[in-house]
Amino acid sequence: MPVDKDTMIEAIDVNKEYRRAGAIIRALADINLTIKSGEFILVQGPTGCGKSTLLNVLSGIDLPDSGKIIFDGENIARAQEARLSKLRRQKIGFVFQDFNLIPTLTAIENVAALLWPTVLREKEIENRAIAALRDVNLLERKDHYPVELSGGEKQRCGLARAIIHRPRVILADEPTGNLDPESEKQVMDLLKQINKDMETTIIVVTHRGSLASYANKIVKMDKGAIISIK
Amino acid sequence: MAFRIFKKSVMMVLREKKQFTVFCLMYTILIFWTSYSIELVLKTSLYLWNASFFMALAVGIFLSLLYSWIIVRRNSRTIATLKCIGWTNSDINSLITGFILFTTFIGFFIVIEVLFHYAAFFGYIYATNPAVFGTPYYIENLPLVSLLPVFVTFIIFLFFQILAILLANRKILKVRPIVALKRVGV
Repeated sequence: MPVDKDTMIEAIDVNKEYRRAGAIIRALADINLTIKSGEFILVQGPTGCGKSTLLNVLSGIDLPDSGKIIFDGENIARAQEARLSKLRRQKIGFVFQDFNLIPTLTAIENVAALLWPTVLREKEIENRAIAALRDVNLLERKDHYPVELSGGEKQRCGLARAIIHRPRVILADEPTGNLDPESEKQVMDLLKQINKDMETTIIVVTHRGSLASYANKIVKMDKGAIISIK
Repeated sequence: MAFRIFKKSVMMVLREKKQFTVFCLMYTILIFWTSYSIELVLKTSLYLWNASFFMALAVGIFLSLLYSWIIVRRNSRTIATLKCIGWTNSDINSLITGFILFTTFIGFFIVIEVLFHYAAFFGYIYATNPAVFGTPYYIENLPLVSLLPVFVTFIIFLFFQILAILLANRKILKVRPIVALKRVGV
């Protein structure tokens, strides 16, 4: 399939339905979206409009009922779980609303954990984790457990984990949903800086209109459909 | 790579202090109980010790399956997160296998240590307090568990752990990475 070399992710006629309490909910309805390499995209819409489902299918965490997801030239809509795991490890970084740090690991170990199942040497993994923590200004907290970090620090640790393997794309689901305004600004500034310095494609799902200034493309959704792309 | 994950699993399980201590002690008691029963089944022909042996086995298998179930259930969000960040099912299986096996091994080593010392301990108590415990009859009849029953018990428990690992692996497959994206408490 011919794909524009600048195209990072392409969703073609993507549909997804859920069954809940006997009713069929159309989470994604004929989604067509092209995301170019290096873009900073904000996906906005009311609760339940399908924006998180879109993020999930774009990353291969969830599979669409129909349609194609072309990720860096490869259709992942029907890929096997092992292939999707490899893709996520190599090309995708995740930032979660609830941080999802492992409570029994320190900040540096949480960051390094992504690379534990790789062939990289322990020292190399440690150096990369230190560099990632330095990038998010959290190096002085490297030996702290998640419970000892503030919300903003936890999210920066999550951000360091998302960049340790230099992914092509970072997907963030409401990354500032649990943060105060100051931490929100820090996290969004860092995402913007990563987007600029590493040319990483960033896709942020949020319901906050105040973050619009960070994006160079805003995708608005409602009832499972894209209603505008600006 | 698998060895590195195993090392990390040891580190992680040791940091889950409460859970690790409780299950380690339970395994220690069970392995001791089973070894002791085997020793007495071999030395005496009392049905009591046969019953005790089978009861220890039943509790052992129940506890092993319960431990694997608890580990996967308590760590389901961690498992989902690891899947999201690119760990394969096989990587996660290695981690959970490490949790389960390490706890059993530590239980086994504690039993070996206890076996070395328990007879000496009771011998000392009895011998130094004849007025309380009576004649040295108790010392002479204190059964010393030989290493054979302990190793047989260890093999039996290792088999239980394989069942526990298989159960954990099945449960790990069922944890969907999407769980990591769900809000806490929702």
